[in-house]
Amino acid sequence: MDVNTTRFGVVDVDDTRLITFPAGLLGFTAYKTYALLQPDANGAFLWLQSVESPELAFVVTDPTLWVQGYEVPIRREQMQEIGLESLDDAQIFVIVNRHGLSLTVNVQGPLVVNAAGRRGMQVVLAEKRWTTRHEIVQVETPVQAASA
Amino acid sequence: MLVLSRQRDETIMIGDDIELTVVDIRGDKVRLGIKAPPHIAVHRKEVYDAIKRENEHAARLDGLPDGIRLRKAL
Repeated sequence: MDVNTTRFGVVDVDDTRLITFPAGLLGFTAYKTYALLQPDANGAFLWLQSVESPELAFVVTDPTLWVQGYEVPIRREQMQEIGLESLDDAQIFVIVNRHGLSLTVNVQGPLVVNAAGRRGMQVVLAEKRWTTRHEIVQVETPVQAASA
Repeated sequence: MLVLSRQRDETIMIGDDIELTVVDIRGDKVRLGIKAPPHIAVHRKEVYDAIKRENEHAARLDGLPDGIRLRKAL
Protein backbone atom coordinates (compact mmCIF):
# COMPACT_ATOMS: atom_id res chain seq x y z
CA MET A 1 0.00 0.00 0.00
CA ASP A 2 1.04 3.61 -0.50
CA VAL A 3 1.83 5.34 2.79
CA ASN A 4 1.69 9.12 2.77
CA THR A 5 4.37 10.76 4.89
CA THR A 6 5.32 14.38 5.37
CA ARG A 7 9.02 13.51 5.73
CA PHE A 8 9.55 10.97 2.95
CA GLY A 9 6.72 11.59 0.50
CA VAL A 10 4.71 8.57 -0.61
CA VAL A 11 6.32 5.29 0.42
CA ASP A 12 5.22 1.93 -0.92
CA VAL A 13 5.04 -0.57 1.94
CA ASP A 14 4.06 -4.20 1.54
CA ASP A 15 0.89 -4.82 3.57
CA THR A 16 2.54 -7.75 5.29
CA ARG A 17 5.24 -5.44 6.65
CA LEU A 18 2.86 -3.18 8.54
CA ILE A 19 2.91 -3.32 12.33
CA THR A 20 -0.25 -2.97 14.38
CA PHE A 21 -0.19 -1.49 17.87
CA PRO A 22 -3.65 -2.46 19.18
CA ALA A 23 -3.38 0.02 22.07
CA GLY A 24 -1.43 2.63 20.12
CA LEU A 25 1.46 4.48 21.76
CA LEU A 26 1.03 6.51 24.94
CA GLY A 27 -0.36 9.89 23.95
CA PHE A 28 -1.16 8.58 20.46
CA THR A 29 -3.69 5.87 21.23
CA ALA A 30 -5.80 6.69 18.17
CA TYR A 31 -3.05 5.59 15.77
CA LYS A 32 -2.67 1.84 15.52
CA THR A 33 -0.85 1.02 12.29
CA TYR A 34 2.77 1.80 11.51
CA ALA A 35 5.39 1.01 8.90
CA LEU A 36 9.04 0.60 9.79
CA LEU A 37 11.16 2.61 7.35
CA GLN A 38 14.89 2.72 6.86
CA PRO A 39 15.25 5.83 4.76
CA ASP A 40 19.00 6.42 4.90
CA ALA A 41 22.25 4.57 5.12
CA ASN A 42 22.54 5.03 8.85
CA GLY A 43 21.25 1.59 9.71
CA ALA A 44 21.12 2.11 13.45
CA PHE A 45 18.08 4.36 13.18
CA LEU A 46 14.71 3.51 11.70
CA TRP A 47 11.49 5.46 11.40
CA LEU A 48 8.26 4.15 12.80
CA GLN A 49 5.85 5.89 10.48
CA SER A 50 2.13 6.07 11.13
CA VAL A 51 0.05 4.84 8.22
CA GLU A 52 -2.94 6.82 9.43
CA SER A 53 -1.27 10.18 10.00
CA PRO A 54 1.38 11.36 7.50
CA GLU A 55 3.07 13.69 9.98
CA LEU A 56 3.27 11.17 12.82
CA ALA A 57 6.59 9.31 12.89
CA PHE A 58 9.15 8.33 15.50
CA VAL A 59 12.84 7.60 15.16
CA VAL A 60 13.51 4.22 16.76
CA THR A 61 16.58 2.13 17.35
CA ASP A 62 17.65 -1.22 18.76
CA PRO A 63 18.52 -0.51 22.42
CA THR A 64 21.05 -3.33 22.63
CA LEU A 65 23.31 -1.24 20.36
CA TRP A 66 23.44 1.50 22.98
CA VAL A 67 22.50 0.26 26.42
CA GLN A 68 24.40 -2.48 28.18
CA GLY A 69 22.42 -4.98 30.21
CA TYR A 70 19.09 -3.71 28.98
CA GLU A 71 16.24 -6.14 29.40
CA VAL A 72 12.52 -5.74 29.05
CA PRO A 73 10.52 -7.98 31.35
CA ILE A 74 7.34 -9.02 29.63
CA ARG A 75 4.37 -10.65 31.32
CA ARG A 76 2.38 -13.50 29.88
CA GLU A 77 -0.67 -11.25 29.47
CA GLN A 78 1.40 -8.77 27.50
CA MET A 79 2.66 -11.55 25.25
CA GLN A 80 -0.93 -12.56 24.62
CA GLU A 81 -1.89 -8.99 23.82
CA ILE A 82 0.47 -8.95 20.86
CA GLY A 83 0.11 -12.63 20.01
CA LEU A 84 3.68 -13.40 21.02
CA GLU A 85 4.15 -17.13 21.36
CA SER A 86 7.93 -17.27 21.58
CA LEU A 87 10.35 -14.72 22.98
CA ASP A 88 12.50 -15.42 19.92
CA ASP A 89 9.95 -13.45 17.90
CA ALA A 90 10.15 -10.43 20.18
CA GLN A 91 11.95 -7.41 18.85
CA ILE A 92 12.61 -4.42 21.08
CA PHE A 93 12.83 -0.83 19.88
CA VAL A 94 13.24 2.38 21.81
CA ILE A 95 12.11 5.80 20.67
CA VAL A 96 14.84 8.33 19.97
CA ASN A 97 14.54 11.92 21.05
CA ARG A 98 16.65 15.05 20.92
CA HIS A 99 17.18 17.32 23.90
CA GLY A 100 19.58 20.17 23.21
CA LEU A 101 22.88 18.58 22.30
CA SER A 102 21.87 15.10 23.36
CA LEU A 103 20.24 12.30 21.47
CA THR A 104 18.35 10.22 23.98
CA VAL A 105 16.35 7.01 23.96
CA ASN A 106 13.30 6.25 26.03
CA VAL A 107 14.31 3.05 27.81
CA GLN A 108 11.47 3.34 30.30
CA GLY A 109 8.83 2.99 27.59
CA PRO A 110 10.23 0.51 25.06
CA LEU A 111 8.29 -0.90 22.14
CA VAL A 112 7.93 -4.66 22.04
CA VAL A 113 7.09 -6.00 18.60
CA ASN A 114 6.06 -9.51 17.73
CA ALA A 115 8.04 -9.78 14.51
CA ALA A 116 6.13 -12.88 13.44
CA GLY A 117 2.62 -11.52 13.99
CA ARG A 118 3.52 -7.88 13.25
CA ARG A 119 1.89 -6.64 16.42
CA GLY A 120 3.43 -4.38 19.00
CA MET A 121 2.91 -2.51 22.23
CA GLN A 122 4.59 0.16 24.30
CA VAL A 123 5.58 -1.27 27.66
CA VAL A 124 5.98 0.81 30.81
CA LEU A 125 8.93 -0.31 32.93
CA ALA A 126 8.71 0.28 36.67
CA GLU A 127 12.42 -0.13 37.35
CA LYS A 128 13.92 3.18 38.43
CA ARG A 129 17.25 2.81 36.61
CA TRP A 130 15.58 3.08 33.20
CA THR A 131 14.63 6.61 32.30
CA THR A 132 12.75 8.26 29.47
CA ARG A 133 15.90 10.18 28.48
CA HIS A 134 18.89 7.87 28.36
CA GLU A 135 21.62 9.72 26.46
CA ILE A 136 23.26 7.79 23.62
CA VAL A 137 24.91 10.44 21.46
CA GLN A 138 26.18 13.98 21.79
CA VAL A 139 25.48 16.24 18.85
CA GLU A 140 28.52 18.30 17.87
CA THR A 141 26.86 21.48 16.72
CA PRO A 142 24.10 23.30 18.52
CA VAL A 143 20.76 22.07 17.33
CA GLN A 144 18.56 24.59 15.60
CA ALA A 145 15.17 25.10 17.11
CA ALA A 146 12.61 22.85 15.47
CA SER A 147 10.54 24.76 12.98
CA ALA A 148 7.40 22.80 13.78
CA MET B 1 -13.89 12.93 41.69
CA LEU B 2 -15.27 10.53 44.26
CA VAL B 3 -13.47 10.96 47.58
CA LEU B 4 -13.68 8.25 50.23
CA SER B 5 -12.11 8.09 53.68
CA ARG B 6 -10.35 4.84 54.52
CA GLN B 7 -8.30 3.65 57.46
CA ARG B 8 -5.34 1.33 57.46
CA ASP B 9 -6.21 -2.16 56.14
CA GLU B 10 -9.47 -0.97 54.68
CA THR B 11 -10.22 -1.60 51.03
CA ILE B 12 -12.06 -0.03 48.14
CA MET B 13 -13.55 -2.13 45.35
CA ILE B 14 -13.41 -0.76 41.82
CA GLY B 15 -15.80 -2.80 39.75
CA ASP B 16 -15.93 -6.49 40.60
CA ASP B 17 -12.29 -7.36 40.44
CA ILE B 18 -10.05 -4.45 41.41
CA GLU B 19 -9.18 -4.00 45.08
CA LEU B 20 -7.33 -1.03 46.50
CA THR B 21 -6.14 -1.45 50.10
CA VAL B 22 -4.51 1.09 52.38
CA VAL B 23 -1.55 -0.93 53.64
CA ASP B 24 0.26 1.70 55.66
CA ILE B 25 0.14 5.39 56.48
CA ARG B 26 3.22 7.24 57.68
CA GLY B 27 3.24 10.99 57.76
CA ASP B 28 2.33 12.19 54.28
CA LYS B 29 3.07 8.82 52.69
CA VAL B 30 0.37 6.25 52.01
CA ARG B 31 1.22 2.73 50.88
CA LEU B 32 -1.44 1.15 48.71
CA GLY B 33 -1.93 -2.47 47.81
CA ILE B 34 -3.55 -3.11 44.45
CA LYS B 35 -5.16 -6.36 43.46
CA ALA B 36 -6.25 -6.41 39.84
CA PRO B 37 -6.64 -8.91 36.99
CA PRO B 38 -3.42 -9.38 35.00
CA HIS B 39 -4.71 -7.54 31.94
CA ILE B 40 -5.15 -4.35 33.97
CA ALA B 41 -1.98 -2.25 33.78
CA VAL B 42 -1.10 -0.47 37.01
CA HIS B 43 1.48 2.32 36.89
CA ARG B 44 2.54 5.30 38.91
CA LYS B 45 0.92 8.17 37.06
CA GLU B 46 4.11 10.24 36.85
CA VAL B 47 5.87 7.40 34.97
CA TYR B 48 2.98 7.04 32.57
CA ASP B 49 2.86 10.82 32.05
CA ALA B 50 6.64 11.04 31.52
CA ILE B 51 6.51 8.43 28.74
CA LYS B 52 3.53 10.14 27.16
CA ARG B 53 5.33 13.51 27.23
CA GLU B 54 8.47 11.94 25.80
CA ASN B 55 6.45 10.36 22.97
CA GLU B 56 4.88 13.71 22.18
CA HIS B 57 8.28 15.39 22.11
CA ALA B 58 9.80 12.60 19.99
CA ALA B 59 7.00 12.93 17.45
CA ARG B 60 8.24 16.46 16.70
CA LEU B 61 11.68 15.23 15.64
CA ASP B 62 12.09 15.99 11.95
CA GLY B 63 15.31 14.13 11.42
CA LEU B 64 18.61 13.21 12.97
CA PRO B 65 21.28 15.93 13.05
CA ASP B 66 24.18 15.54 10.67
CA GLY B 67 27.55 14.69 12.07
CA ILE B 68 26.39 13.01 15.21
CA ARG B 69 29.33 11.95 17.32
CA LEU B 70 28.98 8.53 18.79
CA ARG B 71 29.43 8.61 22.52
CA LYS B 72 29.39 4.87 22.73
CA ALA B 73 30.73 2.82 19.87
CA LEU B 74 28.26 0.69 18.01
